[in-house]
Amino acid sequence: MNPSKNRRPALLTILVLSGVLSITGIVYAFVNEAISLALEAATPYVEQGFEVREDNWSGEVEPGKPLLIRHQLFRGNEYWFWAGTSWPGATIKVDIFDNEGNSVGLESFAKDSFAGVRTLPQKTATYFIRVVASYDKKAEGLTSAERGANDPVEGVGEFSGSLDWGLVYGYR
Amino acid sequence: MSCRLQSPFLRLLAFLVFTVGATPSGRAQGEAEPAVPERIDLTNFPGELVDKVVVPIPAEIFAVLDKLDEPDWNSGIELPAEGEQGRDRAILALIFGSLVGEGFIAVQAKNSDEIQKIGRRVLAISESLGLAGAVRPHSLAIIESAGKNDWSKVRDELDATQQTVRTTMESLRDDELSGLVSLGGWLRGTNVVTTFISNSFSEDKAELLNQPGLVAHFRTMLGSMKGSSGKSPQIRAISTGLARLEAIITQSEAIAEEDVNQLRDISRAMLDEYYFIKP
Repeated sequence: MNPSKNRRPALLTILVLSGVLSITGIVYAFVNEAISLALEAATPYVEQGFEVREDNWSGEVEPGKPLLIRHQLFRGNEYWFWAGTSWPGATIKVDIFDNEGNSVGLESFAKDSFAGVRTLPQKTATYFIRVVASYDKKAEGLTSAERGANDPVEGVGEFSGSLDWGLVYGYR
Repeated sequence: MSCRLQSPFLRLLAFLVFTVGATPSGRAQGEAEPAVPERIDLTNFPGELVDKVVVPIPAEIFAVLDKLDEPDWNSGIELPAEGEQGRDRAILALIFGSLVGEGFIAVQAKNSDEIQKIGRRVLAISESLGLAGAVRPHSLAIIESAGKNDWSKVRDELDATQQTVRTTMESLRDDELSGLVSLGGWLRGTNVVTTFISNSFSEDKAELLNQPGLVAHFRTMLGSMKGSSGKSPQIRAISTGLARLEAIITQSEAIAEEDVNQLRDISRAMLDEYYFIKP
């Protein structure tokens, strides 16, 4: 079974609705979709007792350019970091490293627009979270929607050269 | 924090994505592990270092302290007497952050009465800041959830209150004030944690205070403050206090009992500048 085929209806829905909203001038400027998607990835873990923070990181980045985020962690807590990107067809990965650059992720997943990594800090210190958002505009086997609507109408849905990204975290 | 999307439209989209594209509960185990380098060179990172610092809420440290000991959280609550707060918005922002920090202590103590008082005080100070409209729903939720002993919800709302105020300040180009809210909460949390660790010292607990990156961040933030607020006696005293905290925290990896006592006294003196003001 091809997972990308399963996502096509949802992604098409996203694209069509986004396009309609843009055209009609309805702007959700106050909504950060990448953060919303990262929070959706966090939802199952809230039921496991993780407290998800309101504060977060977000922005735009060139595809493939790694981002490094510093963050204070406390030994004795367990942490999940969840990342998201809302651009159709884009993927995102998230890893975590200690202050010497050693990978300290114990478990992770990366599923298209979502990714997550879990860690149990061995000491209280500053850690580094690496986020990489990628997008292959010419990827074969994807629908035009998944490629990012490569047939734009007056600029709507055209890939601008940067991807949105968002990162949230939870602890328990 | 309640994991909620900010509009019905996004909820619909997220639902579609998840129901069609993924099985959330099985993702971590079921999906292929992405290739992760075992080590990266932080001194020569081929990308972009994100400037933004997310300051941990006191509850993150309190959660660890609860795993290591059984602190008497009720003894840590110390809501200052109500009085004239002045008009300096920088000081009001610090007080707001410290009141939220007080709320986290009261939640840990599961003290409904104190949380409700704090909820009302948070609303009062937000009125002085001209942000009551944004804070009122959270403040009411804090009071209501405390009445129901729903501690997790109270914690979520305290975090949300702080975040709402900070976001509103940033949208009004008051980034300096937003940072001061975080500093106020961190300082109140640090003071109560150092007090508990002083009372019952262990190296494991003292390690919680190893936060040189955060202290450096706050020092930089105060150092870059513009306008008259940055030159006020209180802000200068807090700046000096941060320098003293930094000197203790960064001198060695292991924080000794005497160091903890000093951190407690310095953080208390900093709070005395604007929060525990003697009438």
